[in-house]
Amino acid sequence: MDPVAAAVLASWTLDLTGVCLLLAVATVYFRGWLRLHAELPRKYTMGRLAAFASGLLAVLLALDSPVDAFGGLLLQAHMIQHLLLIMVAPPLLLLGQPVLPLLRGLPQFVFKDALGPFLSCPELRQLGRAMVHPIVSWFALASVITVWHLPRLYELGLHSQAWHRAEHACFFWSAVVFWWPVVGLWPSHAVCPRWAMIPCLVLADLVNTGLSAVLSFSDHVLYASYQLAPRLWGISALDDQAAAGAIMWVPGSIAFLVPAVILGMRALESGRAHAMQRTTIPHIRVPRIPSTVPRDLLRMPILGYILRYRHFRRCIQAAMLLLAAAVAADGFFGPQIAPMNLAGVLPWTHWRGLAVIALLMAGNLFCMACPFTLPRDLARKAVSPRYRWPRRLRSKWIAAALLAAYLWGYEAFALWDSPRSTAWIILGYFIAAFAVDTVFKGASFCKYVCPIGQFHFVHSLVSPLQVKVREPAVCNACVTHDCIRGNDRQRGCELRLFQPKKLDNFDCTFCLDCVQACPQANVGILRVLPGQSLRENRHSSGIGRLTRRPDVAALVLILVFGAFVNAAGMTEPVMMWMHHWHARLGLHSMVPVVTVLYVGGLLIIPGIVAAACGWVSQHWAQTTAAWKDLTCSFTLALVPVGFGMWLAHFSNHLIAGWSTLIPAVEKFFSRAYSGGYPRTGIPSWLPCLEFLFLGLGLLLTLYSAWRVACRVSDGDRMALAVMSPWAVLAGGLYSSGIWIVLQPMQMRGAMMMHGMMMH
Amino acid sequence: MTLPKFLLPVVTILTQAFAFADGGTVQLHKEAGALVITVFSSSASLSAGPVDISLLLQKRNGLEPVLDANVSLLLRSDASGTEIRARPTREQAQNKLLYAAPVTLAESGKWWLDISILRNGERTEATGTIDVAPASEMAASYWGYIAFAPLMIVFFVVREWLLRRRLELRVKRCEIIWN
Repeated sequence: MDPVAAAVLASWTLDLTGVCLLLAVATVYFRGWLRLHAELPRKYTMGRLAAFASGLLAVLLALDSPVDAFGGLLLQAHMIQHLLLIMVAPPLLLLGQPVLPLLRGLPQFVFKDALGPFLSCPELRQLGRAMVHPIVSWFALASVITVWHLPRLYELGLHSQAWHRAEHACFFWSAVVFWWPVVGLWPSHAVCPRWAMIPCLVLADLVNTGLSAVLSFSDHVLYASYQLAPRLWGISALDDQAAAGAIMWVPGSIAFLVPAVILGMRALESGRAHAMQRTTIPHIRVPRIPSTVPRDLLRMPILGYILRYRHFRRCIQAAMLLLAAAVAADGFFGPQIAPMNLAGVLPWTHWRGLAVIALLMAGNLFCMACPFTLPRDLARKAVSPRYRWPRRLRSKWIAAALLAAYLWGYEAFALWDSPRSTAWIILGYFIAAFAVDTVFKGASFCKYVCPIGQFHFVHSLVSPLQVKVREPAVCNACVTHDCIRGNDRQRGCELRLFQPKKLDNFDCTFCLDCVQACPQANVGILRVLPGQSLRENRHSSGIGRLTRRPDVAALVLILVFGAFVNAAGMTEPVMMWMHHWHARLGLHSMVPVVTVLYVGGLLIIPGIVAAACGWVSQHWAQTTAAWKDLTCSFTLALVPVGFGMWLAHFSNHLIAGWSTLIPAVEKFFSRAYSGGYPRTGIPSWLPCLEFLFLGLGLLLTLYSAWRVACRVSDGDRMALAVMSPWAVLAGGLYSSGIWIVLQPMQMRGAMMMHGMMMH
Repeated sequence: MTLPKFLLPVVTILTQAFAFADGGTVQLHKEAGALVITVFSSSASLSAGPVDISLLLQKRNGLEPVLDANVSLLLRSDASGTEIRARPTREQAQNKLLYAAPVTLAESGKWWLDISILRNGERTEATGTIDVAPASEMAASYWGYIAFAPLMIVFFVVREWLLRRRLELRVKRCEIIWN
């Protein structure tokens, strides 16, 4: 093939967000179509599916193909793009009769709970009917096409990406509205007889013809950008404009007139009287979607078999133990340059990122694979612990203090930049887990000491999977309670979580001991609604009521505020602020400044703010609920916004620095790195992802806070008042998250970590 | 190593995501030697910060695009003398007729642009200037994503209002029937 032609054909401008959106729409439609095809096979045929798929393909071609890449250089290409968006994609999509498949394809809670009130709103239905009235829809399309072809507005689109997108959105949606009554969407009621669309189509063609004629016969170039653009293959700007006019004229007229002819022929065929009739649509009751049985990971074909395998946990723990040993060895004996050392990149760049993504997608998988508890398990085969964990210490206070110390130490001693310190921490962790669990029974280290475990316990409250009983009735009949007591073959839950009364993932290490122990095989890993327990006030086994646990509230506050302080610590303004005070006070080390930042940001400010919000809530609610209980309840609701920040922060490290693993691994094995250091950079889409994480976190926090407010107060107004201080706090945290993402960041763990990376 | 065919679209999408949107506004148009050089910047008003610079090289005779050149770029700030070197390639461009490179312009003001093109052992040089505006607000380019959460809050508030209104209407109807 000619290299120029090959280059043209390879010029796809695939935009990740757009492609993901199209794939999501295609998936939802296909899901709905499958259901409707089974119920109404004559209505939802393969042809409908093909038409919808072709429509999506036309959108993809318009927005991501070489047509888009050359739109700025050739007016003809730009015109083809607009034709695809106005005359090809919308009618094809509408021929797929997408209304019901798209609604039925959505998850039930979105369709019923989120969209239901809007779909049944009489005013909105009326507005919808008015918009698809042939006269309104014709006017909308005609005005959109005409206005956007005015040179000033067309230039605006060419000079600004945002305006260009707005232009495309106007073309596409006005075309959807125009073609709606032409195609005759089911089950909407037609407001006019179908033949009434013939004049609309002819009138639309007249507008199109007028504009095409202006473009084709103009003696000067209408759009200055094309005058300035380099001429490809010697095509002059005026010739290009005339060709664009011809493209608009001929295929455009075909697109409008062929449907007019078809409608005319149909009207004549079925007789004037019949054609004049309003289309009547039989009222077909769409059957309700049966409530789906929760999906069980343990019952999935291959994954379920692997997870159920008795020694599965031991295998992954052993693999993680080897990895931890390698990281510690490299940290002690390897080069003390963080980006060239496994201890400098694996724990801080990769492990943390993968852990939060696992929490978001599944659950507490990293506690499942925890290597620290493997040596003590082996030791317990020889020596059994004799003591119970002291009653006074059965809370999260120690873990919360250790967590705060860990977050402070990370920044104060730049742990991410010191492979040897990282190796000491790993070794210290093994020793601590071993020492605690060989003296005390159960998983005392996991439950009361481990700060990393607390991070996972708290954030797994918003995970979509939970170790849970499958059939509660089976447990009601159970008398042995093997899931907690264990049996001669398998130990029971070491964290004292009794499955039938376990409500959430808190304190659950996903060890699956209960799964192995249950003689009825009644425990699975089931799908749950993320964050449900944040909104409820129920007693859970081994935990009690989370809303009456000040130790848990303190832990949550440290984690939530820690997310923002930790991320802010690597932004340029905060670093400059720390350096400023370091220089001004003439200190020898940065530790005092970091200490002030962390004591203030992790302990003092969260404590004061939470107490103030709790006091305001109680004051406004005028309820009998204790101030402490209210504070604990609402503090739990902050977990999602904090998790959003952790996700944004750690995914930034993981995605921007994933390739840092290569030189560290190569150096570990060969003690010499042959290639150059991989280039690290923040892809342009990463901030968008981070904003989405933050936004979703805020939304779940607000929703949880609203539900808590409804629970503790009478009436909507009071609930709103009770919730408002917490909503302001959540909004403030979200705003600081946005600010953090927008700042230049220190690329820790990468070769250029001492430099700033701009988004 | 060859990738399985089904992985190709995924890899294409992911690698494209790292490429910058090239083309855009013409910043410089020059004829040098046997070539016609056009320099584009990704944003209309070229401003300090990350920006995508792309070049279209054409033969002077017939204006056919040149695809086999080796291009290097030197950007020098007129005010501070800061230099940025870049090597635009077709692989980094979305429009494969162009040579593109991402650069981060540290400051606003006038920047000198030295273009060096090596093709068939022949070197072509061109120079020019571009005007760089002060850095635009980064938040403005992500407003859609930042506005997502507030929009959803509005959506939720309207939904709650609709639900409550529907409930009130039902209660009123029941009362009428009851009375």
